[in-house]
Formats: sequence, C-alpha cells, structure tokens
Amino acid sequence: MDHITSLRLQNFTSFEKFDLKPSPGINVLIGVNGTGKTHILKVLYAACAITEGEDRDKPFGVKLRNVFSPYNGAIGRLVRRKPGSSTAQIDVVREGGMRIRASFSNHEKGAADKYSRSRLLWALKPLSTAFIPVKEMLAFAPGFIAVSAKREWNVEEVYVDIIKKAYLPILSGPAARDRKALLGALENAIEGKVIVKGETFFLKNKNGDLEFPLLAEGVRKLALVWLLIQNGTLTKGSILFWDEPEANLNPSMMQQVVNVIFKLQELGVQVFLTTHNYVLLKQFDLQAGKKSAIKYISLFRELVADKPVGPVVSRVSDTYSGIDPNDIAGTLDRLYDEEVKRSFGGTAK
Amino acid sequence: MTAFREGDIEIDFPDQVTPRKFDDPAIHKLTHCMKAVDCIFEWNGDTYFIEVKDPDNPRAQTEGKEKFQQKFQSDKLNNDLKYKYRDTFLYEYASGRVKGKIHYIVLLCMKNLDSSMLMTRSDELRKAIPMEGPGGPWQKAFVTSCNVMNLDAWKRYLRQFPVRRLSEAAAKTTQN
Repeated sequence: MDHITSLRLQNFTSFEKFDLKPSPGINVLIGVNGTGKTHILKVLYAACAITEGEDRDKPFGVKLRNVFSPYNGAIGRLVRRKPGSSTAQIDVVREGGMRIRASFSNHEKGAADKYSRSRLLWALKPLSTAFIPVKEMLAFAPGFIAVSAKREWNVEEVYVDIIKKAYLPILSGPAARDRKALLGALENAIEGKVIVKGETFFLKNKNGDLEFPLLAEGVRKLALVWLLIQNGTLTKGSILFWDEPEANLNPSMMQQVVNVIFKLQELGVQVFLTTHNYVLLKQFDLQAGKKSAIKYISLFRELVADKPVGPVVSRVSDTYSGIDPNDIAGTLDRLYDEEVKRSFGGTAK
Repeated sequence: MTAFREGDIEIDFPDQVTPRKFDDPAIHKLTHCMKAVDCIFEWNGDTYFIEVKDPDNPRAQTEGKEKFQQKFQSDKLNNDLKYKYRDTFLYEYASGRVKGKIHYIVLLCMKNLDSSMLMTRSDELRKAIPMEGPGGPWQKAFVTSCNVMNLDAWKRYLRQFPVRRLSEAAAKTTQN
C-alpha cells in the first residue's frame, strides 16, 4: 500500500505552521467555513497528480497553481497574508520517505515552476489519484475538455481532471472479489451501470439509457465513484480526495456513501474527505469497525484576544467522541438548546 | 432538601419543592388501569411530570437492557411515554390538582444520545401526545412543554434540581 504519511504547511493560505500525520485509511476533515479543509485536499492532490499521466512532467508549483487557480495565475497569492515579504513552503511525504516540496514567495507572479531536487524520486512510482469536487461534473462533460484546452479560463483544474479520469477506459478482465462487491453495492445504490457514448455519460438500467443531466445529482456522484473503481483509478494503493461527499445527497443516502468509503479503505485506498454534515459524520462513527483506520481532523482558528482570527490549527482524534472542536455537533447542541428554551417559555409547537 | 430516587438515579429538590412519587401502586391505586409517570412536582406555579428511563444503569440486567432496546428501536417506548403522560394528566385533572402550565420531561439516561437524537425523540413524543390539536393549537392546552433529556441536558436546564447516578457517587466515595 502506498499513501501520504505527512503534510507540512508553512505560511500557506490560512495556515502558519501546520503539521498533519494522516491515517493510511480514512481522513475526515471538519471545521467551519474558511478553515482550509479543501486547501489541504488540493495541496495533497496536486502532489499526487504530478506522479502520473499527463501531469507527470509538471513541477509541483505549476499543478498547485492550476488546482487553486489564483488571480492572474500568481501563486504568490497563496502565501499567507501578512505585512512585508514572506515565503510559503509545502512539504509532502509519502510512504517510503519520498518527499516533495514547493516553496514560493508572496512576490511570485508565475507558478513557481522550478523542479525540486527530490522530484524525480517522488514521481518514480505513480500514485493513482482522483479529486471529486463539490460540484458534480459528468453532466457537463461533453466538450468540456476540448473547450478547456482551447481557452484560457479561470477554472480550477480539479474539474477538468475528474472528467478526464471518468473517461479512462474500463479495466479488462474479471474484477477481484472485494472490488466486485464494491461495484455491486454501488450498482444497487444507483440502480444501474454507467456507459459512455461518444463524450456523453448514461446510466444504463432496465428502463433504458438515461443521460446524466436527467439524473439526480446524488446518483451522478455515486456513478462517478463506480466509474473510478471500474477503470482502475481507485484501486489498492490509490488516493481519493472527496470534497463534501454529502453535497446534493439526501441524508438517507449517507449510509450507502459511508459504506462505500469504508469498503474503499478495505480495498487499500487512502481517503481524504471534508464534511459539514452531521449524518455523514455520525455514520462514520456508527459504521466504524475493527478493520477501520479513521482519523477525524478538526480544523479551527487560534484565538487572538478571544476571537477566532488566528492561523488555522488542528486537533486529531481516532474516535467520533474525541472530535474537538466539533462545530457540527455544536450547532445541533445550539438548536436543541433553542428548542428546550422555547418550549419552557411556553410556546407550544 | 428532599431526594427523589428512581433506581440508580437520584434528584435533589430544594426545601420549598416537594416531589411526589407517583408511579407507586400503593399511592396511585389505579395502576392496574392507568399508566403513571414516576414523579410530579410543582415549582414556580407550574407542574412538572417526570419520567425516568435508565438503560445506562450499570446494575441493569442483560434481559432488562435487551427489552428496553427493543422498545427503544420500535415505537413502543414512544407509545408508553405518550400514555404515561395522558393518564397522569387525566388522573391529576380529575383529582383537582392540575396547576399552572404542565411540563413533561423524560429523563432518558443514555450517554450516546446526542442533541440531534434528543431533538428527534422530543419531536416524536410531542406529535404522539399530541401537543397540537386538530388543525392548530388546542383551545385548552394540556401540555405546555415536552422534552426528552439525557443527564447532561437535565444538568444544564434544571440546575435547581441536581441529579446524580448513585453508583457513580458511591464509587467516588469509596475512592476518597
């Protein structure tokens, strides 16, 4: 199994000095808006992406710039804002000790396109990876890649990348038992299989072929995971980044989603995901078993004069009950509090 | 100070409040045909009906725990809690004792119940009682508030009536 073992961010976006030793299994990032959950996913994704496919020749800084898409393509804008000059540094380490670094100042107008010395070793063995963004993209896939190649436009590269991954051809030969079980679970959830005609994705089931724009967005998301397993992107030793899996999903589907994520972990996939959703988070707690390797990473800002305006730091817990702070549970506590107080106040519902 | 005890749970009441043990066949005398909450007390002109459910009781037998779990996972518990409230209200009303607003509190001692689950349980019980009449509020409301609380919530909202688990208190005394 190949996975990310360490991330260090210095003076990068909301982070001043940030260290993370992720789980080789599932990593769940929680925190209020603006605490950099997606930034962590994007940094790690950029590091993984330059080990395979057409990104293999890209310097880390260029891929970082492309997935973050800062104004005018100036990577210097990703340096933590403070008076005077400063330099951001990102260090990512993978199993086996191979590391990659990106370092750039806030004056950097381009993409920090120097190759780091450790890069060759870093990319020697490809890391299969996928980043599933919040917005479902397969419905927009036809023509998207062609247009994005022709035009200079300000689209975060994660959107283009996921469509390219979805178009990869299906693996030939019979699927291993665990992979087959996972595909079966997904087929039950989406009630069909995915086929591609030209550049258009369809869900094929007993009622015929349904083009993606006609499907519920939740179904499209799970269909994308099915494709990524089917075409070998998500396989043993690969890494999945999933930004808010709950987006556009009815809470009743969370059980299946979490079940799929646990099965991916058992398959040997390292997973990083962000969430704002109580049901998703609670499902992880309820479904975690002996084989589960899960870390909950709670991101929050340090207090400056009692206000949460300092750099983002984290606390890591192996259990749901240890998540601290847990702003999602905190919000529910507040709701319950309002409810009890209103009820004692005499306002019957 | 008066203490009310229900199994492993003890609630302390200040001198001006007198809790009445209600679910006792010798006092109630009609438990063969009416359900009853565990305790009733008056405070600040309002009446409080208290029902204690304690599946976390470390002394509970496995059989009892399994039985509770089955009730909890079906609609039996909610049904039971609903009839306990209605029958107690009727009993107190017919006895000419109903004073002020009535608050129904179910103290459900389950550590794993978080705010989300407490809210859902409270909502279900409010619907079952039902707090709302046909097409809108009752002309004469027979319950003002209805809340399912765990021990932590009780300690937050009913600080005047300190609650404790006797086995934990005993363990602490032994340690000291």
